[in-house]
Amino acid sequence: MKLSEIGIHRLLQVSSALVIVGLLLEIVSLLWFHPLSFVLFAFVAASLIGLGVLVYLASLVFVATPPDATPRRK
Amino acid sequence: MIWILICQIVLCIALACVFLIYPSVTTGTAWKILAFIGLCALPALCIVGGMNIHMQRSEQRQFCISCHAMAPYGQSLYVDDPTHIPAQHFQNHRVPPDTACYACHADYTIYGPLNDKIRGLTRIYMQYVSTPPNPIVIPGGYKNDQCLHCHLGARDFEENPVHSAMMDALTTNRMSCLTSGCHDTAHNVANLSHEKFWSPTSEAQ
Repeated sequence: MKLSEIGIHRLLQVSSALVIVGLLLEIVSLLWFHPLSFVLFAFVAASLIGLGVLVYLASLVFVATPPDATPRRK
Repeated sequence: MIWILICQIVLCIALACVFLIYPSVTTGTAWKILAFIGLCALPALCIVGGMNIHMQRSEQRQFCISCHAMAPYGQSLYVDDPTHIPAQHFQNHRVPPDTACYACHADYTIYGPLNDKIRGLTRIYMQYVSTPPNPIVIPGGYKNDQCLHCHLGARDFEENPVHSAMMDALTTNRMSCLTSGCHDTAHNVANLSHEKFWSPTSEAQ
């Protein structure tokens, strides 16, 4: 396994963990009828989910092969 | 609606769990697509759905009066006196009873533009960290637009000679519906202890 793949997998795990925690908090905020539930959703849950999505998108950058690495054909 | 969103969230959590435990599965094309759905598309939809439900919920009267500072305002809707404008509107269903607060305060805090949304957050801060103002005052005063978005164009409003004589002043907010001496009894929470209250026979009220 290449070092970059380990990095990608680690990023995917971090992304998944952030999304899971954010979504669990979103469920709590949806089942809790209270003004603070909106704060929990908007500032904690949505932020964690958004961060998870950003980390996933960052992992896609690692997947992209740099143009210099591809062998040239004659 | 809320249960559909929760099912979607559970599905998204299940997908994310797969990539948390087995991140190496994303080497295949199908799994890459599934990762995009589970870690990008579905979470984004969950945020949109959650925001939609929270905005709808915040329009509920029960949501507004769940703050301790707002409880007397909710109680004032049951005052047994037709000169109390909010009580008269609420008890006669001139506004939807479940969303009575939002019907007349549609430009208030979270429902208004960005400045109002920020002000709404300071209200939450005051409720839970510092002390809410007493009495609660709407910055800039109550705007006539909140009355006119229902009453303007209504026959009994426009055929009333008092209203028609000052229509320009009302529509341009130069004269307030509430503070001009015409409809000056709003929630009046300071005198609630002296009021009689109406008890609805149906819980649906």
